[in-house]
Amino acid sequence: MIRKDLAFIAAKTSRKVLRLMGKGATTLPGKLALKTDPTVIRRTAAGKNIITITGTNGKTTTSHMISDMLNTLGYDVVNNISGANLATGLATTLICGKDEIKKAKGESKGTVYVLETDEAAFAKTAKDLAPKVCVVTNLFRDQLDRYGELTHTRDMIKKGTGSTDAVLVLNADDSLVASIGQGREEKAFFYGMNKDSMKENNIRYPVKKSVIPASPDAVYCPECKVRYEYEARSFGHLGDFRCPSCGVRSPKDHISVRYDLSRSPSSDDYGITIRNEETGRDIDMTLKIPGAHNIYNTCAAVSAVTAFLKCVEKDITEDEIFEKAVKSQDNVEAAFGRMEKIEIGNKKICILLVKNPVGLESSLDLVARSEDAGGLMMLLSSNFADGKDISWIWDVDIEAKAEDLPKNVAVSGQRYEDMRLRLAYAGMDVKEAGDMDNASAILKGLLDSCGDGECLYVLPNYTSMLALRAMLVKEYDLKDFWK
Amino acid sequence: MTELTIGHFYPDLLNLYGDRGNVLALYRRAVLRGIRTEVRSISVGDELKGDEIDIAFLGGGQDSEQNIMNSDLRNVKGKTITGMIESGVVFLCICGGYQMLGRYYKEIDGSTLECLGYLDLYTEGRPERFINDTVYELTLDDGSKATIVGFENHSGRTYFGDGSDGRKVVKPFMKVITGHGNNGEDGYEGAVYKNTFCTYSHGSLLPKNPEITDMLLLRALKRKYGEDYILPPLDSSVELRAKEQALDYIKNGKEQMI
Repeated sequence: MIRKDLAFIAAKTSRKVLRLMGKGATTLPGKLALKTDPTVIRRTAAGKNIITITGTNGKTTTSHMISDMLNTLGYDVVNNISGANLATGLATTLICGKDEIKKAKGESKGTVYVLETDEAAFAKTAKDLAPKVCVVTNLFRDQLDRYGELTHTRDMIKKGTGSTDAVLVLNADDSLVASIGQGREEKAFFYGMNKDSMKENNIRYPVKKSVIPASPDAVYCPECKVRYEYEARSFGHLGDFRCPSCGVRSPKDHISVRYDLSRSPSSDDYGITIRNEETGRDIDMTLKIPGAHNIYNTCAAVSAVTAFLKCVEKDITEDEIFEKAVKSQDNVEAAFGRMEKIEIGNKKICILLVKNPVGLESSLDLVARSEDAGGLMMLLSSNFADGKDISWIWDVDIEAKAEDLPKNVAVSGQRYEDMRLRLAYAGMDVKEAGDMDNASAILKGLLDSCGDGECLYVLPNYTSMLALRAMLVKEYDLKDFWK
Repeated sequence: MTELTIGHFYPDLLNLYGDRGNVLALYRRAVLRGIRTEVRSISVGDELKGDEIDIAFLGGGQDSEQNIMNSDLRNVKGKTITGMIESGVVFLCICGGYQMLGRYYKEIDGSTLECLGYLDLYTEGRPERFINDTVYELTLDDGSKATIVGFENHSGRTYFGDGSDGRKVVKPFMKVITGHGNNGEDGYEGAVYKNTFCTYSHGSLLPKNPEITDMLLLRALKRKYGEDYILPPLDSSVELRAKEQALDYIKNGKEQMI
């Protein structure tokens, strides 16, 4: 008991001091607490309503959506919104998170901890967290040096989910994620693109490929070593897959989405239809954050909220729960650096964080299909948090998209010459280039050459996003990320 | 018209760390010179017409995917590939592709993956993985030296044999200036046999090192069109600026965090 109290004091005091110094203090307090009491996560998690979100891409956006939705539905929400998603960040949030609780309007139905969790950290902390709902978004190549093989990451997550009694909200279109539900079907809640809708879009809007198409990540069945057959695909290795050898296939969705790629992703009222496949209920809604990857994130969030409400709210039908979950999407906003839009006069800047090949692929796809795209700025740095290896920029088929991207292009970041070369090999002419010291001036120049109503799309990797955003905070009065 | 066919081996299995950029570099620097260039993807189940390929590329993959490729390489395409190597087809083999041409890959736990066994080299896994930027010195075909920049990411240590059991003897490809190279011991990086070049360098290797791209193109085109073939000149300033910045970063780069 004393240890736990000491751990609390260490965390809370350090948090206060760091905050006075103007720091975010999102991990150090938890680090001190874990040093003082290694069981602090288990002790502080006990009795709490916890939802975890893990996977390669979409963790932050999906967590953010779930938080906003639960808030709308009358729950107080605590989360590690700034991406402090290792054990230290989780401990900080569990101990100090109530300082920053987002209160529901009106009478509260209780508090929910919505925790985005790094894949490796999830495996280690899942048992202690004992979440009610675990969301796994997708598994793509990302800093393989850190995580190793994709199948290994899958196994780690499965070990984590296996140590809990949680409902698993799983992406049915991702063969690796779907396999986490094997042997646990009664507690698995699958979501994905509606399979017919995916097929229609494939026929009407075939994906452009260059002479050297990029290769998706996990297109072979890891058990049989045979190439999957796809009835339909969305992007990367996601789609309606089937192994011709063992017959394993994309599971039946509980909640799915119908979409239409004919429309510009930048339109304010991009409509999708979300369906509860169990009950057959269809609901039309507007996609709050554009892009195919955000259709998945939206579907994941609706599924997670539906699954959570089914755990905690009784005497209410499945359709009523589903309707509440979809309706609560109305107040969702983009997370920090993820499709964040900043209005500047009659122009816009849109920041899309890209950290790995599939993220770059879907972000460029979004820019290429957006009617308002007036400029493109790519930033590449290679600090430790980015991964020292920048070779992944070559794993994306930028060649196939080049002609649909804006001609007004600039590059920055520590490794801007690598990015300039990358774009040059895609046949793109880079107008301005310079390191982070020049990033702000370059951005302004690009914005000036955008027309009225146009948007400058900025695609930074992780640390260049932090640095760029800090500049924008100063110049355009944006929020600091922990506020 | 000058024509060139690039064979991209197992692109759906060996697709890590930007290796696709190497094929793109070969393609682009050929096309910009007016050479009609075809890129052919050759994976499991695809027919391999060895005599139609001028430059072959084999990259690296994740272990599970390399195992799938290994079995196709040894049981199906191996004989054609060794024939191509012997007849002087230009090969660029990176990381897994390099190891697969050797005798075996022995894991730390002692388990051994038999490889194609054409070149007299073998690889042993070690706990410490070499993950870092690299700089090498390469002696080009005209005798001049070029500074080469790359990125290595491997736990295997590769050693050469003396060819006593009839396998082909290789020579080192480059000298290590920064990084670990084949095994972290002898100061060399990669292996060469005839027109086959093997290396651990990802990066991607070729985009920032147009000297190697052009050397491979020239060797392939000389083989096809005769020793008198001359590669038309081509601007390399964007490539060399990227190389300069990478070298500067390797020497002076600091964490730039806010």
